[in-house]
Amino acid sequence: MPLQNEYAIEIENLVKKFGDLTAVNGISLKIKKGEIFGLLGPNGAGKSTTINMLLGLLSPTSGKISVNGINMLKEPEKAKGQIGIVTQETVVEPELTAEDNLMIFGRLYQIPADELQKDIDFALKLSDLESFRKAYAGTFSGGMKRRLETAKALMHTPQVLLLDEPTTGLDVQNRSKIWNLLRKINKEQNVTILMTTQYLEEADQLCNRIAIIDHGKLIALGTPSELRQKIGMSTVLEVEADKDSLQKVEQIFRKIGLDPRISGNKVFAAGGAKPVEKVERILKLLSAGKIDAHNISMHEPTIDDVFLKLTGSAVRDETGDFKGGRQSAMLGRGR
Amino acid sequence: MGLARDTYTLFLRELLIFKKNLGVNIARSLIFPILFIILLGAFGSSPKNIPVALVNYDNGLTSLQFINLLQSGDSIKIVSSTTQQAAMGMLAQGNVAAVIVIPNGFSSSQLPKPDIYMYLDNSQPQSASVINMVVNRVAAQMGTQITSASTALADPVSTPVPVVTNYAYGAASNYESFVVGGIVIMVAAFGSVFSSGFTVLSDRELGNLKAFLTTPINKFAILLSKIGYGTMQSLLSAYIGLAIGLALGATVAAGFLGVLELIWIIFLVGLSFGSLSIALAMRAKQLQTYALIGQSIVMPAAFLGGAFVPVSLLPPLLQTVSIANPLTYAVNAVRDIMIKGSLPIGDLVLDSAVLLVFAGLMLALAFVFFKNTSEQIS
Repeated sequence: MPLQNEYAIEIENLVKKFGDLTAVNGISLKIKKGEIFGLLGPNGAGKSTTINMLLGLLSPTSGKISVNGINMLKEPEKAKGQIGIVTQETVVEPELTAEDNLMIFGRLYQIPADELQKDIDFALKLSDLESFRKAYAGTFSGGMKRRLETAKALMHTPQVLLLDEPTTGLDVQNRSKIWNLLRKINKEQNVTILMTTQYLEEADQLCNRIAIIDHGKLIALGTPSELRQKIGMSTVLEVEADKDSLQKVEQIFRKIGLDPRISGNKVFAAGGAKPVEKVERILKLLSAGKIDAHNISMHEPTIDDVFLKLTGSAVRDETGDFKGGRQSAMLGRGR
Repeated sequence: MGLARDTYTLFLRELLIFKKNLGVNIARSLIFPILFIILLGAFGSSPKNIPVALVNYDNGLTSLQFINLLQSGDSIKIVSSTTQQAAMGMLAQGNVAAVIVIPNGFSSSQLPKPDIYMYLDNSQPQSASVINMVVNRVAAQMGTQITSASTALADPVSTPVPVVTNYAYGAASNYESFVVGGIVIMVAAFGSVFSSGFTVLSDRELGNLKAFLTTPINKFAILLSKIGYGTMQSLLSAYIGLAIGLALGATVAAGFLGVLELIWIIFLVGLSFGSLSIALAMRAKQLQTYALIGQSIVMPAAFLGGAFVPVSLLPPLLQTVSIANPLTYAVNAVRDIMIKGSLPIGDLVLDSAVLLVFAGLMLALAFVFFKNTSEQIS
């Protein structure tokens, strides 16, 4: 009866409340089959809660989730079978060998006994761990563990792959290995990928579409270039300086008719018309005010800029000062 | 169907991890019984070679026979044969635990035989009771009436009391069997508490629990595999404890069949305490809290269950508590099997029934807590 579904994941009016706190407040999303989709948002925006509901770990207060047309709330076990997961904290069993790690999860993902060995071999090859099949996962490096976990998630050939910050804490080499792996399975097996990430350039490079959520609500959705256009910045002017001088730099921006924002140790604004001229004026005013700037740049907007403009805070709190970040975000909005 | 397969898979995982840490696991199972048996002073201390002084006014053939019989077990060692005055002095100084006086005319054929006097230092009740037991047994063997007097050292004047000893049950038993019976139950309870709930918590901390919950399985498979693993650990610990006990002198009156009967009792203890520990783990959330609560449940439960001291010797209030303590019934069942030879059978049925009901309740508790709390695991 149900038509062949064109969406891999459908979320309708999803709400999750924890007591008085509404973590997710009416999010709707449709992710097409074969897409690489990025879900971005500052800490506490409701990202993890959304992901946990997609994984069937949390049940929504209201709303609907379906995976490949299968209702997660009505048939959780069937829906979970469609999904492969790579979580934020790498989960491999340190006290099992690479092979046994895959064997146990293969069985839990209901792979039939006669196909299991073949799938284990395939997964070991995919993750480049064939020569470590009998080694305990506890002895692996961070990158090897992440690869094993990714292979574990792919072993049952899921239609949808859910990655919660898949490259956090990895070095450049392992990160690009994971990127290549994701592109490969997306292309060759048409696996739909939904990922969250802290690295916005990662989302920019990998994702076909990006959704930004904040305060439990969807605030932007589109391709990376659509999002860049949406914020109305053709160019971004940016000055990096000491924290003490940031206020003065901000005044300079205002003086020449820009609408500046502060994030970390940067002041930035949309360049508008004739951005080069504005850079010249900023330079003059900086030297006149004897302000020691570390870096002055004029560049095309990145997803970072989109994110800053829309949410008012950086995706990562560099100082770990979560509250401060959110407060300044609120102030920014108040203006 | 699916539940059974998933439970088996997760149980297999526990076994693989168990195999990896085999050495540590076996060592852990060995340490508990050995430590407790030694700490409880059951072996290698007072019940062997208790020093006794002898005063022999008779010196006839029968008295020598009596002395030989007294020393035939290893419990009593006659360290001195002397005058009554010197012997009482040794008793007062604590050099001997008892003075045994064989009266003049003991060897004559005249009946009734004169009473044997025994002065016991009851400040060491354990050795006093052993001596009392041995002398009574030997006297019974020789058809002699024994008169014993517990000597409070301040009051050496004794009133002779004739003693009639009749071992209705457990004539062949010893203190080892008594203590090992209790230890078997205690390590069984500890075994599952430190496997079931403990690994639920460590899996939760490592994120494994979350990983299992995201797979297309019935989540109760996780619960069942953990309880199964805990019960297995209970059986392993208990049987290692039993083996150590048997090696050190304990006996099982019901024989090999009794050793098999024990499986059922230990299984029920493992099942109930494994379930209880999972309910606890779902609430405790931290390993430290869990370990603390776990210990403060198992230790008192074992003690109040009569694992170390017979329930009949506990203060009246604690005896009442013992009635509601399921481990009382487990310890009782094990003692019936090890000491009485599993008779009368009615007791064993009652014990089993109580344990079965308790296991059912704990299993239900674990299910409810697991169901309600697994949402918070993410």
